[in-house]
Amino acid sequence: MYPTHRSDDERLDALFRAYRTACPDRDPSTNFMPELWQRIEARQTFTFSFRRMANAFVTAGLALTVMLGVYMALPQKSSYYPVSYLQALADTNSPETPDIVGPVGLDFTDPGR
Amino acid sequence: MLVDFEVIKRAQGGDALAFNEIVLAYRKRILGTITRLIARQEDVEDVAQEVFLRLYFSLDQLRTAEVFEPWLYRLTVNAAYDYLRKQRRRQEYRMSDLSEQQVLMADAAAGGKVEHDEQQQKKVREAVDSLLGSVSEADRILLMLKEVEGLSLKELEKIYKVNENALKVRLFRARQRVLRAFGASGKQEVTG
Repeated sequence: MYPTHRSDDERLDALFRAYRTACPDRDPSTNFMPELWQRIEARQTFTFSFRRMANAFVTAGLALTVMLGVYMALPQKSSYYPVSYLQALADTNSPETPDIVGPVGLDFTDPGR
Repeated sequence: MLVDFEVIKRAQGGDALAFNEIVLAYRKRILGTITRLIARQEDVEDVAQEVFLRLYFSLDQLRTAEVFEPWLYRLTVNAAYDYLRKQRRRQEYRMSDLSEQQVLMADAAAGGKVEHDEQQQKKVREAVDSLLGSVSEADRILLMLKEVEGLSLKELEKIYKVNENALKVRLFRARQRVLRAFGASGKQEVTG
């Protein structure tokens, strides 16, 4: 401490001591304990509800994950061809397959004549 | 310690009666500390209940008996600090008010001896609250714990979980600020 502040230091200490005397420990009101327990119970209820909600979300999330896993694991018809495009084209236009893309010749003569 | 560690252990196990015992043992002291920390009488019980509420829900984290009281103080300081942050009390304690209050105090000291006791205490409270308005809320609480509550540096170390030297520096600076404000306010005799 600075020597010049010595007297102020002492005054301040005296002020703090006086403050301690002026603000003694105090007794609580009669509602203190009931209100405290009300608050504890309210917080417990909130925590319990929140925990239950969180558990429900976690359970739902897990169920969804399992369902998606099963769905993905099942063999299914897929538009995906495991062959090349050319191979697929060749299979589609095999010699046995009529060419439906070419010009169609129309015969207007009466076959009965 | 005002209660046995056995009682705390029972409270940790969910024994409501044991927790009640802890509250009954400490509530008066905690109320007194909060009264001195927040300076707003009507909210003291509310903050004290918040302290015990936090204690109830964190009691299972306590491992050893010797840290119980510093820990309770820590909860008290945090609750008071949260309250002050919400209230922004510092705005109400402007230094411009200080001289006037201390002038009033001097007037009270010059007046009748009998009736001024209660008035004098009120003035002392107001003067200290105003003086501590010259430092931050954190330093205000630190100074209050050291100078008014009479906690040792070792105890403060446990509460704040910082080393003693850092606390000393912080306390010294805070006290210097308060001293400057005290000096600037006219150095009126406060304690009579």
